[in-house]
Amino acid sequence: MTVATRSAPSAVRTNEVTKVYGRVTAVDGVSFAVAPGETVGLFGPNGAGKSTLLRMLAGLARPSSGTITLDGTDLVPGDHAVHRAVGVVTHESMLYDDLSARENLRFHADLHGVADPAARCEAVLDAVNLSGRSSQYPSAFSHGLRKRLSLARALLHRPDVLLLDEPYAGLDQRSVADLAAILDGFDDRTVLLTTHDLDRGVGRCDRALVVDRGRLQADVDLDETSAAFETTYRRAIGVDDGSNGGVGP
Amino acid sequence: MAMFALLIVLAFAFSFVKTVRNPTVLGRSALWIAFVFGGTLGVTRTATVEDDDAALDGILLAPVDRSAIYLGKVASTSLFVFVVNVSTLGATAVLLGYTPTLRTALALLGVLAVAAVGFAAVGVVVATLTFRAGLDELVLPLLLVPLVVPVLLAGVELTAALTAGSPTESWLRLLVIYTTILLLAGVATFDFVVEE
Repeated sequence: MTVATRSAPSAVRTNEVTKVYGRVTAVDGVSFAVAPGETVGLFGPNGAGKSTLLRMLAGLARPSSGTITLDGTDLVPGDHAVHRAVGVVTHESMLYDDLSARENLRFHADLHGVADPAARCEAVLDAVNLSGRSSQYPSAFSHGLRKRLSLARALLHRPDVLLLDEPYAGLDQRSVADLAAILDGFDDRTVLLTTHDLDRGVGRCDRALVVDRGRLQADVDLDETSAAFETTYRRAIGVDDGSNGGVGP
Repeated sequence: MAMFALLIVLAFAFSFVKTVRNPTVLGRSALWIAFVFGGTLGVTRTATVEDDDAALDGILLAPVDRSAIYLGKVASTSLFVFVVNVSTLGATAVLLGYTPTLRTALALLGVLAVAAVGFAAVGVVVATLTFRAGLDELVLPLLLVPLVVPVLLAGVELTAALTAGSPTESWLRLLVIYTTILLLAGVATFDFVVEE
C-alpha cells in the first residue's frame, strides 16, 4: 500500500488539501495526482470526505489550506479556466424542474459559451440516449434519467476532467448498465469518481484512492480483483472483520 | 406573490375604508406593506427555485463572474417585485380610492423601481445565505426586514411627500444612496455567500 503524490505529469494534483467546517475537519491534508486520461476512484465509508474533496476539485468549495492544480494551473473557485476544464455530476442534478431537458441543456450551453449550442445539446442528448425525451421536464424523470441528463449537462462544454460523485447511487441494475455504457464512451477523459460500490469501482477505475476520516489512507493501482481490493480497502479503513457498513453496494 | 399583495389591499379595504377616511394614508400603507411581504415572498421563491436540486451549483460551475450572476438575480427579482407593486398600486386605486395625479403616479413608479432594486439587492444575498447555510426559510424575514427598513422608510415618506407636493430630496437621496450601498455590498459579498 502506498500513499504518495505521483510525480508524472498530472491533470489534477492536490497538495496537502484540508477543509475545515467549524470544528469538523472534513478533509485533512490530502495529496494525490491524477494523470491525464486516468480514471481514479475515491473509495471510502460515509462521511469520509470524498464528496467534500470532489466539491473542492470542482471549485464549489475553497480549501481551508493546501492547493489544487488542474493542468498545472492553481484552482481558484470562480476561475473561468477551471470551470471550462471540469464537468461535474453530483447527487443533485443541478437542473431546473421548470425547464425541459433541452431547455436546461441550452441554458447551460449558453452559460458555458458553447459554440453552436443547439447542435451540441442534441449531440449530448443523443450520447446519453435522451433524444426522445428532450421535451420532457426533469421532474417527470426517474432518478436514472435525471442522472443521465445531469451527465449530459456535465459533458456539454467538452471538459477535460469529469468529476462524478456516486454516479451509481440509487440506480437500478438496468440504469447502472446504461450509465456504464455511456461512460465507456468517454474513456479518453480524466475521470475522478467517488463510489461505495467496490465491484463497479474496481471494474471502471485504473486506480483507487481510499479516504477515511478525511485522510488519504491508500493509493493503489487496480490491477487486482474486487475481492482482493476489498481486503486492501478494509485494511485501509481499519476494518478487517467484514462488519463495516461502509463496504458494499 | 401578486395575489398575496392583492389580498393585503383587500384586507385594508375591508378593515379600514369605513373608519379611515383618508385614501392617501390607506393607499400608501397598503402599498408598502404589500411591497415588503410580496417582496419577501419573491426573494424566497427565487432562492427556493435554485436551491431545489442544487440548480445554483450548476450556474456556479459555469465560467461566469459571480458578480454577474448576482446582478442577474437582482435584475430579475427587482423586475418581479416592481411588476407586482405596479399591480398593487392599481389595486389601491380601485379598492381604496387612492388616485394620485399622473405626474405623482409616474414619480411613484420611479420610487418603487429604485426601492425594488434595493430590496432585491439585499434580498438575494440574504435568501441565498439562508438556503446555502441550511437555515429554515422562516429565518429569512427575520434577517431581511431589518436590513430593508431604510428602503421602506424612504419609500413611505417619499410616497407621502409626492402626494402632498412636499420636498422629496432628502428621502430620495437616502433611498438612492442606501440602494447603491446594498448593491455594492451584494457584489462584494455574493462570492463568499455562495462558496463553502
